[in-house]
Amino acid sequence: MNVRKTWLAALATASVATLALAGCSGGSEPADDNALEMWHNSTTGDGKAYWDEVAAAFEEETGVKVTMTSVQNEDMDGKLQTASNSGDMPDVFMARGGGKLADFVDAGVVKDLTELISDDAHAAYGEASFSAFTVEGATYGMPVAVLPQGMFYSEDLFADAGITEEPVTIDELNDAVEKLKASGVEPIALGAKAAWPAAHWYYGFALRACAEDVLQNIAVDLDFSDRCWLQAGQDLVDFAATEPFNNGFLTTDAQEGAGSSAGLIANHKAGMELMGGWNAGVIGSLTPDGQPLADLGWFPLPATDGGAGDPTAMMGGVDGYACSADSPSTCEDFLNFFAQAEWQEKYADAFDAIPASKEAQSAVTDPALQEMMAAYNEASYIVLWLDTLLGQNVGNALNAAVVETLAGSGTAESIVDAATQAAARG
Amino acid sequence: MTETATLVAPAGAARRAPARPDWRKRGEITLLAGPAIIVFVTFVILPVVMAAFYGFFRWKGFGFPDDFVGLDNYIAILQDPTFRSAVGHNFFIVIASLILQGPLAILFALLMNQKMRGRSLIRVLIFVPYVISEVVVGTGWSLMLQDAGALNSLLEKVGLGSWVQSWIASPSIAMGTLMFIISWKYIGFAVILMLAGLQSIPEELYEAAAIDGASFWQTQWRITLPLLAPTIRIWAFLSIIGSLQLFDLVNIIWGQYVAATAGTSTMATYMYLNGHLAGNYGFGNAVAVLLFLISLVVALVYQRFALNRDTAGALTGDGGRKKR
Repeated sequence: MNVRKTWLAALATASVATLALAGCSGGSEPADDNALEMWHNSTTGDGKAYWDEVAAAFEEETGVKVTMTSVQNEDMDGKLQTASNSGDMPDVFMARGGGKLADFVDAGVVKDLTELISDDAHAAYGEASFSAFTVEGATYGMPVAVLPQGMFYSEDLFADAGITEEPVTIDELNDAVEKLKASGVEPIALGAKAAWPAAHWYYGFALRACAEDVLQNIAVDLDFSDRCWLQAGQDLVDFAATEPFNNGFLTTDAQEGAGSSAGLIANHKAGMELMGGWNAGVIGSLTPDGQPLADLGWFPLPATDGGAGDPTAMMGGVDGYACSADSPSTCEDFLNFFAQAEWQEKYADAFDAIPASKEAQSAVTDPALQEMMAAYNEASYIVLWLDTLLGQNVGNALNAAVVETLAGSGTAESIVDAATQAAARG
Repeated sequence: MTETATLVAPAGAARRAPARPDWRKRGEITLLAGPAIIVFVTFVILPVVMAAFYGFFRWKGFGFPDDFVGLDNYIAILQDPTFRSAVGHNFFIVIASLILQGPLAILFALLMNQKMRGRSLIRVLIFVPYVISEVVVGTGWSLMLQDAGALNSLLEKVGLGSWVQSWIASPSIAMGTLMFIISWKYIGFAVILMLAGLQSIPEELYEAAAIDGASFWQTQWRITLPLLAPTIRIWAFLSIIGSLQLFDLVNIIWGQYVAATAGTSTMATYMYLNGHLAGNYGFGNAVAVLLFLISLVVALVYQRFALNRDTAGALTGDGGRKKR
């Protein structure tokens, strides 16, 4: 009896205290028109300095203070999700479009920017870069950079190995791999530990194997029955059979430290790497002196024979920023502010990347980037990274299945099966 | 709680005290137990209940879940061969940890219970890996064991090039590598427990054995081990639970994607990969519930058949009273 009463008393205290605690956290602050909070993924160096500079200039012009928060790239999605559930979203946050953005749009936490993006930005960017941020006809993000996929390579190591021409076909690529092996360096660096760099090879083969409409529709119908998905898997298996990747690629990181795949390129341990447009900056930060790699070259992923995809088509990503649903109108003002050519030029410089604004593309001076930009602008069409396009669920399953196949415990069929199963689960 | 009740109730009844002191006592108990109960309910009971709730939904982690799918998540998990192999890895780790660490820890403890030079230094050295954070240990070992890492370079330099292996990625070796790292990391904890157990064994028993002419090994077998048994059982329990919930070392050394192909994935890394990274939070919560249930069943079975000898009287009220 006594015990039961003690328990009751304790529970009563507990519930009162819980209510009190809930009371403390329940009140949300009204949106302040003169302050913005922004989450970006530049944790060090020029990129971080760039955003601080943008914030200072915006405050000077409009009096609106922008508070910058650096979030580690891999933590961004999870933190945004937590913030969205607690009703504490940052006003401006990084977005990469595709299925991931669509999940946020579904949850009603992103602002529709269709009517709010300035005419100047529309004119300067062209519609292509906005398409990554378009969900069911509405635009939800302001692009800052386009990041096409391609092969980054060391011109010196290619010359040492006796490779005189950039490979254009898979046969020529296989040839280059053999020559690099013979010259005593790792042919292709691959950071498969994080899975997505390995999956990029599969996406690359799918880009060549699948017709444009198959790729453009896949995010909606999630139908992997077209033979081209199997063909891409087979191309990957055949290519991997030539053992083109660095020793121990399964446990190699992509971007952290000298032993990572980007580090192997930066330190002349490996000849080339298939990667997105941000790689020039990453490689630059991993060279012994921290300067851009002087002999860095670039060429598009060589074409396989006889696929339904256009040989000039490219895969890539678009980095951009979105506003949360309840952000003040100064949020879109801020997006339109840094979309101006002046700030896009500075962005290109700070991030070693191709700015989304065509007006600012003359600011790109790095030869590897210039070559990438030319190929991007001439591409017949652009497909977003498949894992971004398909969203977290299917994208993640696809990435994991590709790693399994490269590790020798999967087949072309198992990649397609994994994607199909995940599609059914999500 | 039961013990307190039997002590408190007769005292109150005998004195026939007025209501006020009784209320004071209740107030005291409430005040002292309240904060702990709030924390326990908020951070242990509530999340478990919520995980069970979310596990019945297809939920992307935004807002309130509304797509009820019943047991679909559980069916999908149990049909997934990668989950079943992860469970297999977990139970392999449970058994291998007991077999590898138990005897070694007892031997180390026996050794360090002798008076010898440098004893405290050896104790510190054995205990250091346990104190270092899992992240540091994981990063350190993964750098050393990479294909182009320190260990393979060393083997090549000393002319053992044929021993060079893909220590982390190769499915035939990876589990052995993991067991080596786990043993190295956690044996210090087992040794410390065993040492404490050894030191609680009364000296007189050894003296009596010596007078009776028992040999060293007879003494260990007849006196030390039986009296150390409660310590061993508690250690084994902690080791089993730790092995079932293993996450950090695997996640850091192998990463989420390579762990499954290398054969070191655990239920927890499966949950992280397919729940968090895939953004399927309903599915992930269902995995969490299964992990909880499996651990609970193992813990209860172990308590029933092994630990009850030690806890009789302390936790099981009736059994204890009868013995007294």
